[in-house]
Amino acid sequence: MAKKDKYFEHESLQDKDSITSYLKAITQGFKKGAIEFSDEDDDFILTPQKLANLKIKANQTKKGQTLNIKISWSSDQSTDFEESPLFIDPKKPKK
Amino acid sequence: MQILSELYEPLRFLTIEVQKQLDAVNLFFETGEHKAAEISLKRVDYIDNIHVNLLNRASVYLTDNNDEETQITVQSYEHLNQSLKALSRQLQAIVFQAKHSSSALKLLRKKAVFKAIKDLQIGLELIEPAIESESSTLAIDICRLKVHIDKRCDQQLEKYKARLKKGQQTEALLNASFILRDISEMGEALLRIGEGIISANMGQMIQIDRYHSLEATLTALQLSPQQDALSIRAMGETKSGCTISGVMNAEESEGQMLAVFKEGDKAKLKEEKTGIESWHEIFPGIAPKVYSYHKNGNKAALLFEYLTGDTFETLLVEKDRKTLKAALNTLFNTLQKIWQETQSNEVHPAHYMRQLKKRLNDIYDVHPDFKLQTVRINGVKNQALEQLISAAEHIEETLSCPTAVYIHGDFNLDNIIYDPLENEINFIDLHRSEYLDFVQDLSVLMVSCYRLSNFDSQVRKLIAQMMQAIYQFGSDYAESIDDTSYHLRMALGLSRSFLSSTRFVLDKEHAKSMHFRGRYLIEQVIRLTDEERLTYRIPKEIFHD
Repeated sequence: MAKKDKYFEHESLQDKDSITSYLKAITQGFKKGAIEFSDEDDDFILTPQKLANLKIKANQTKKGQTLNIKISWSSDQSTDFEESPLFIDPKKPKK
Repeated sequence: MQILSELYEPLRFLTIEVQKQLDAVNLFFETGEHKAAEISLKRVDYIDNIHVNLLNRASVYLTDNNDEETQITVQSYEHLNQSLKALSRQLQAIVFQAKHSSSALKLLRKKAVFKAIKDLQIGLELIEPAIESESSTLAIDICRLKVHIDKRCDQQLEKYKARLKKGQQTEALLNASFILRDISEMGEALLRIGEGIISANMGQMIQIDRYHSLEATLTALQLSPQQDALSIRAMGETKSGCTISGVMNAEESEGQMLAVFKEGDKAKLKEEKTGIESWHEIFPGIAPKVYSYHKNGNKAALLFEYLTGDTFETLLVEKDRKTLKAALNTLFNTLQKIWQETQSNEVHPAHYMRQLKKRLNDIYDVHPDFKLQTVRINGVKNQALEQLISAAEHIEETLSCPTAVYIHGDFNLDNIIYDPLENEINFIDLHRSEYLDFVQDLSVLMVSCYRLSNFDSQVRKLIAQMMQAIYQFGSDYAESIDDTSYHLRMALGLSRSFLSSTRFVLDKEHAKSMHFRGRYLIEQVIRLTDEERLTYRIPKEIFHD
């Protein structure tokens, strides 16, 4: 487990171009496996894994429209676990 | 039970007297009037007289009639006689205690306590009809009352305990707790009464450890009448609705399990018996020995060898890594031997996608929100599950499959038993064994690991490792027999199990993560090009949460 839970939030008014650049930054971070978040006090990095849950919600009302994208994955960072495999074929030479 | 009028008559009087005593105690509890307490105490002398009278009559009766059947009936009467006397003694003790502590009596004036007393009254009322009835149903009802009484007493005891911790009214609370314990003891006396009646009906003395297995007891005793005294312990229930109990000799040392007793639907148990027998023929030593099989209408009962050791589920949950590793190695060696020896000449594909299709409605019954339509987001398509399955089915048909081996057929964690002392593997629950693709068993086993509703992070990691180990073992075996489509069949097999086992998983999040994994694997297989299919490997991330 991480030592302390981390939290980041940001909200602002943006034009189409800058929203695309935010999305691009996130996309690139995803490919790389690291997305950095920081403010003046603190910073931390999310490390997207090979598999993640993707939830897309869109809604339309008279007043406005919303698009929600939620991506979540588990990342247990504890190191107190025996990582060696439970089974190694004795007849097969190690590659 | 057989009516022996010489004995039944005093027994009826005894019952009536104890009923009167109980009613008076109830009144005393309700009103706190000492007069009621005195009335209850007055019954004690009558009760003692009838008790002794019944004892004498019983011994006379036995001298005159000494056949085995009568002996047991008389024993049952004596059993009832003793139990009623014990009940009366408890009532007496309760009144003595309560008389001396009016504050305890006040504390006892609670719904749960009166309900427990009501249960006792019901139990006493049931004695006569239960004795006169030919079946044991009413006697079983009497036994079950003990459970109710215990529950009510425990409920109230918990409340007292909580208050005791606060340190107020400690003496009264302690007294009240003692009295409650006595009430609970009377439930025990009721259980013995029911037991006595059942014993008479059965023609042998039985001892009931757990009320759940009463029905099982009845059948078990019919199966092995040579046993003088058996005790039965409920072990659980299978998904197919069979009840399982352990049978042990009451005389022997504690916990000495003699056999496992399984009772339920005849068709299911018949399949199981056939399965076990075929294993004895095809690969001896892996299945338990069958002692007896008994059918009655559409019900049947199977008595078979009790296997020592632990199920793989236990090994996983207990996080005993060393034993688990040894167990897995033995399992893999055993499987390899079985597969080598039972290799047939025919190919029997498992048709994973076809299996899955048949389960879809069952899945949606439990999780209606899993039934989704095809969606598109700006051109990116996410297909409905039905379509994915159809597409995967086409691919599955083109896959080469190695010749069939004899498989377990329901290869769950809790159907494999490992005995660490003998370093031996045994299989149970063999009603679905057949010749099929070996990947069927392995994929079922892997998902039965994932399916466990144990969310301890260490256990989850061990689960992932175990799944990886099984996958690896299968892969090595596949290589040894030149099975080139192993990984794809495994992906489809896993997908089938991930998706279809959600019907046993009510935890929404857990069910969802299984469902997503199942879908993901199918999507992967469909997307592969012909060339990619040759080198496809299941991503190990899928085994982790």
